[in-house]
Amino acid sequence: MTDTPLIRLADVSKVYHLESGDFTALNHISLDIMEGEFVALMGPSGSGKSTMMNQLGILDVPTTGKIFIDGKNVAGMTNLERTHMRRDEIGYVFQKFYLIPLLSAYENVEYPLILKYKKRDTTGRATAVLKSVGFDDEMSAHRPNQLSGGQQQRVAIARALVNDPKILLCDEPTGNLDRKTGFQIMDILCGLHREGKTVILVTHDPKIAEYAHRTITLEDGRIAKS
Amino acid sequence: MRDIFFDLSVRSVRLNFLRSILASIGIVIGVVAISSMGMLGTNMQLEVKDQLSAGANTIVITPDVVRMGPPGFSPQVSSSTSSSSSVITKSQLSKIKLAAGANASAIIPVYSKNTEFTLGSVNGRGTVYGIDPDYITKFLTIENGTNIVGANDALVGSSIAENFELKLGSRIKVGSTTSGSRTEVRVVGILKERGMAADSVSTDNAIIVSEDWYTNQYGGENEYPQINVIVKNIDTITDVEEAIDTKLNANEKTPVIRIRDASSMLSNITSTLSTMTTFILAIGAISLLVAATSIFNVMMMSVNERVQEIGILLSIGTETGEIRRMFLYEAFILGIIGAVVGGLASLVIGYSVVSAMIGTTDYFFMPESIAYIPIGMLIGIVVCLISGLYPAWHASNMDPIDALRAE
Repeated sequence: MTDTPLIRLADVSKVYHLESGDFTALNHISLDIMEGEFVALMGPSGSGKSTMMNQLGILDVPTTGKIFIDGKNVAGMTNLERTHMRRDEIGYVFQKFYLIPLLSAYENVEYPLILKYKKRDTTGRATAVLKSVGFDDEMSAHRPNQLSGGQQQRVAIARALVNDPKILLCDEPTGNLDRKTGFQIMDILCGLHREGKTVILVTHDPKIAEYAHRTITLEDGRIAKS
Repeated sequence: MRDIFFDLSVRSVRLNFLRSILASIGIVIGVVAISSMGMLGTNMQLEVKDQLSAGANTIVITPDVVRMGPPGFSPQVSSSTSSSSSVITKSQLSKIKLAAGANASAIIPVYSKNTEFTLGSVNGRGTVYGIDPDYITKFLTIENGTNIVGANDALVGSSIAENFELKLGSRIKVGSTTSGSRTEVRVVGILKERGMAADSVSTDNAIIVSEDWYTNQYGGENEYPQINVIVKNIDTITDVEEAIDTKLNANEKTPVIRIRDASSMLSNITSTLSTMTTFILAIGAISLLVAATSIFNVMMMSVNERVQEIGILLSIGTETGEIRRMFLYEAFILGIIGAVVGGLASLVIGYSVVSAMIGTTDYFFMPESIAYIPIGMLIGIVVCLISGLYPAWHASNMDPIDALRAE
């Protein structure tokens, strides 16, 4: 590990221009996240969690301020470069799993590999990652709508991992799961953290946030507690 | 290697099978319309061209009708000027022979006159042509019987033969019904149907007699109303025409003869027909316009139903070009389905339409006709792709955050 933070937010603000007036979702936030950290992002709804998540996942760019991921300034990148960074350096796990309904579990996991290498996976990587989250070949052939919530979230995690990203961005990963399944998913995420992934977890559940080593609480677009 | 975006498109089409098929039917109809109309027009052109080009190697020379007086006479139209001057004289014929030279395979003086005739007790009207029997077989086909041998032998056209139930050996009284002295001719041959002949010898409703019989009957020997020059090589036809024109018209104040051939008539008629073909093609194209709208509609539905999916694809690192490709594939698949079905249907429908409206399918499989099927198919696919452009662009330009949030 180096001294350079994996993620650095320098005085980041995000302002939405609405008809009812400007809304400041993030208000001059500065934050460093080092490689290998397990960070929980908490806060009530409307605190700016989702906006923060979109910024960290470079789905969006800040209105002012700078975001550096792996030392690269996100605002200075082209759309295509941001797309490639999302593909190669960040793994996304969503509350609603967001699997591609037309693809089987296997194809969902294979998909990011195809995006990266522009060809079908012949290395067995997708199968191996699915196995690591407890999926055998038969289950891998199922479409998402044939799987339970916990199974879908496992597939989503496998998809997030398949391109071996440094950052794992989890937006309420247990929000749509029962408690028991939720803890199973958290166990998987903890295991990945132990293997060296930087895990950022957005949650409003304090029990889930306890898994993290560092908790950042947002309130009205500012960091209230770090 | 199969492209995953192609797979996604195939699955999307399959998922909304009925909707996709209905949209494709529009393309099917469009392709059928374009192909069938195109083939119909082309077959019509080919048929007419074939009918007309029978006499395409023939130069038709007639006296210039504007000029009524004899050479040297002032070209005022005078009532006293006899119409007998509007003929081609023997010396002019010699000049024509000289000018055409070795390029002509036959120079055929054609006498003709409208006349009445009687067959048994039935009266009729038609043209009598007087042609040297040696020349008859050079441009006319005797379907039944033999050529003229005896002085009173005659050939008849197919329409006359049919209408009057003429047989070989039938006798026809020729001349005005009121005149006392009418000569009889004997039918020795029946000509093949000729249609509208490019060389101005329309035999279907005519009686052909020998030159001698004609001049004996009507006089006017060596005063020809028309000379047909058949050239050996059709490519030299313009040169021969120029040579004749120089020889006969150049030293006159106004042209004394008119020279024409079938090519100008042929090109006139074919250009008229091709205008018609374009017109009916345009009508066919309207149906493709309707098809384009329905494809556009289905593509927009597909995009709007899959907003969240597009959001997922974009957020996990799919390039906008790849999203565009996925939707263009979908439009392409709809186009392929429509084009293939449409192509097959065009083969059947086009064949039936051509057979019903033109009466012959001899030209249907000729390249210029059958080519309308791949052309129609190609246009159908292109129309689909164009219809898919905006939906694909719309999909690829979505904001991933907004798209993900969509339900």
